[in-house]
Amino acid sequence: MESVEVSAKTVDEAIDIALEDLGLKRSEVDIEVLTPGKPGLFGLGGEQARVRVTALVETTRRPAEDGVEEPIPEELLGERVEIKDLDAEEVQYAHQFLRELLILMDISADVSVREPETPADGLGRATAVLDVEGDDLGLLIGRRGTTLSALQYLINVLVTRKLGSRVLVTVDVEAYHRRREDTLRGLARRMADRVRQSRRPMTLEPMPAAERRIIHIALADDASVITASTGFGEDRKVVIRPRGNGGPRYRRDGPGRSPGRFQGPRI
Amino acid sequence: MKELIEFMAKSIVDNPDDVEVSEEDGGDHLIFHLHVAEADMGRVIGKQGRIANAMRTLLKVAAIRKGARAVLEIG
Repeated sequence: MESVEVSAKTVDEAIDIALEDLGLKRSEVDIEVLTPGKPGLFGLGGEQARVRVTALVETTRRPAEDGVEEPIPEELLGERVEIKDLDAEEVQYAHQFLRELLILMDISADVSVREPETPADGLGRATAVLDVEGDDLGLLIGRRGTTLSALQYLINVLVTRKLGSRVLVTVDVEAYHRRREDTLRGLARRMADRVRQSRRPMTLEPMPAAERRIIHIALADDASVITASTGFGEDRKVVIRPRGNGGPRYRRDGPGRSPGRFQGPRI
Repeated sequence: MKELIEFMAKSIVDNPDDVEVSEEDGGDHLIFHLHVAEADMGRVIGKQGRIANAMRTLLKVAAIRKGARAVLEIG
């Protein structure tokens, strides 16, 4: 049966997120508290609670929403959109819609606007970044950022409908995209090192489009590997292959080292 | 929660005056029915139900904040 692990400010919130994700009730799951978590002072210090929730019945989970479509990696590197003035009409509407939605969801948070700076900000694609900051916003991020993706998608739909032209702004909550980007870039570099050494392709865990894009971009300048995506929908993942004459070669590991099958990164 | 659905739907459709949201007690959860003009059905559902699912995701956040569970039915 399906199981998910979720981190949040409190155990209860983590459980709620997991239940929401699985589409199940408490009576339909087994809950294991991995880390009880500690509250911090004014959001500082403290430790996130982590739970593992295992479905005891068939889940009704829906496919994850990707915040953005995945373009071809080579096309991503240059800047392709004009970054809008932060008081441009579309940015103003996005800001206004986001604040309204937060109020209606009963979430108190501050929203600020800035220019995209990194691939996770949608640099080259998004015209602006809306940062949401507040306490206890794990619920707004959701497991693997699925709730945040839905929020960003809807904001873009609303602004596009309002202005009649296609708009892409990035919505970030508690710097989630930025933190994920750091993790993913580190992961990309480590995996590329392994591929380079073993001369074997390596497949990462399934990721949403925006995250796959970060991996592609992180390794685009690496002459020793090439990246591609494989699989469909929620199961789509990045494959890192050695560049050049390809095919697997003999391992260059020294004697005594266990070949051990690589279990894949936890992402 | 009702206001959230109304706000999202009215911002998407061409005929905001035809947007109606009714609430029903489904026992351990609330059921919200969203009605829009026939011509606007595709707009609130979106390609492969993406807009409808995004609205459902945000409704669930609002529901969790109120300690409730809620579902959104369209049509």
